[in-house]
Amino acid sequence: MQTVIALWKRGLKAFFRNKTGLIFSLVFPFFFVYVFGAIFKNDFIDNPIAYMLSGVIITTVFEGALNLASTTVDDMVSGFMKEVLVSPAKRISVAIGQLLSAATVSTLQGILILVIGMFTGIKFTTWITPLFVLLAMICVGLVFSGVGLFMATLVRNGQTFQIIKTAITMPLTFISGAYVPLDMLPGALKVVSYFNPMTYATAFFRMIVLEKTNLSNAELVKEGLAININGFVVSPVLSFIIIMAIGAVFLILATRSFVKTDFSRLNRSSSDASALWG
Amino acid sequence: MKSIINVKNFTKKYGDFVAVNDISFEVEEGTIFAFLGPNGAGKSTTINTLCTIFEKTSGTLTIDGKDVTNQKSEVRSAIGVVFQDSTLDAKMTIEENLKLHCVFYNIPKKEVEERIQFVLKLVDLTAERKKLISSLSGGMKRRVEIARGLIHYPKVLFLDEPTTGLDPQTRSHIWEYIRKLQKERNITIFLTTHYMEEAEICNKIAIIDGGVIVAHDTPYALKKQYTKDKAFITTKNEAELELLLQQYQLEYVKKEGYYRVDAENIHPLLQVLSEQKNVITDIEIKKGTFNDVFLEITGKKIREEA
Repeated sequence: MQTVIALWKRGLKAFFRNKTGLIFSLVFPFFFVYVFGAIFKNDFIDNPIAYMLSGVIITTVFEGALNLASTTVDDMVSGFMKEVLVSPAKRISVAIGQLLSAATVSTLQGILILVIGMFTGIKFTTWITPLFVLLAMICVGLVFSGVGLFMATLVRNGQTFQIIKTAITMPLTFISGAYVPLDMLPGALKVVSYFNPMTYATAFFRMIVLEKTNLSNAELVKEGLAININGFVVSPVLSFIIIMAIGAVFLILATRSFVKTDFSRLNRSSSDASALWG
Repeated sequence: MKSIINVKNFTKKYGDFVAVNDISFEVEEGTIFAFLGPNGAGKSTTINTLCTIFEKTSGTLTIDGKDVTNQKSEVRSAIGVVFQDSTLDAKMTIEENLKLHCVFYNIPKKEVEERIQFVLKLVDLTAERKKLISSLSGGMKRRVEIARGLIHYPKVLFLDEPTTGLDPQTRSHIWEYIRKLQKERNITIFLTTHYMEEAEICNKIAIIDGGVIVAHDTPYALKKQYTKDKAFITTKNEAELELLLQQYQLEYVKKEGYYRVDAENIHPLLQVLSEQKNVITDIEIKKGTFNDVFLEITGKKIREEA
């Protein structure tokens, strides 16, 4: 338990110390809101800024959580993971500490954007909404921290990892509906998006932020908040269940894999940690 | 004396490749033990297995009576490890690194502060306590790692090439800390090094080559057994010196400007010298070094195989 708390604190400290990273993580989302908000003006959506913002927030949480893969690989390359693994600390506590810190950091990033967003277009009519928003961010953060940690345990080479990570996260964000409405995607990509967990995370999160909980499925589909797969409508609630199921699978996989991984086999000599991850 | 590290018939295979082949040795409590060998000889495999990172293929390895395979947690609590490459968290301060380490090793909270002060004083880093690791020099980082390796009061401290890449001054400082430790806290130190003169300071030395231990003794005994003293003689009359050396059956090699002569047997050499008194311009006697021991033991082997 001590280990979990200590590693959680370590993750938070690292987040607040990395000032440049902090600023960029705030600037980029608004850049996206500005660009994509202008490009994809849609008649069906009555509040395009809030619509974009909600997508951007959840993407930020998603990317922040997946970043656990980078920090864990960073810890392996820098050797810190070796120090942890020759200590009597339980590996499961280490895994949980890392997961919780990544989930917390990503939620914090989401909250920061949300707070700024509340001045620029997001309006909540009841106090329940921010509570649900927070809960949703924590869930999504945890789920993708699991995915991130799992990715990290598969890594064998620190240098190729960054490329692979970008190759996975970029398409996942762009065909999730967060930036580009799904209806505007070409047919093939649309099919791919049905297999993208982020599609579902975006849909239910957007519904919560836009306070559209009382709409019918048909209306939700029209506003791009529910996904219509050949007539079968995935409601936001179902989306949430899908995400949680994926999350449970990955959290278990990640923890198991982390406990078993032999971190000493990682090719350390070929890469300089600070040069790679800054 | 009681032995604290016990290795019996330890073998480690990677597929068909045998990295360590049935080695056995013991390390006595409170001593400095040097584990030497050329790259790829099985040094790291052994040290990593003792540190519970690698799994053995067969054999028994115990530290302070605890088995490294079945009692990992107990072994980990009993040892401190300083790896060849840094394992510090560069984004955190010295203090934060030490505190985190204390959490991993279940050090009671009320003791943490006292222990941090103790180990930082030991390695002269009290003033740098709040500095970020990334702002420290290589030697300082190594000292932080040594401090960290000690903060949970281990019985055995593993040092994997603790002085590699450091300047001579820092190296001698690190050695000061190591010896201070051994004396004051009676810690057993297990180290690997590339610097042969460092190995000489140790109580016992084992040399591993090709996965087997080829020598295991005190530095003095090894030196006695494996090195020869040599004399380097410069003379004005080369022909006569050669003749005399042959007469007294002294082995020699003619080099550019001087003769290298086997000086192990001092009497015939003195004879040659006294008879050549007037023409000899310079003489230098070199005692065998530990480097010679190492080359003698491992170098020869490599040549035989080739």
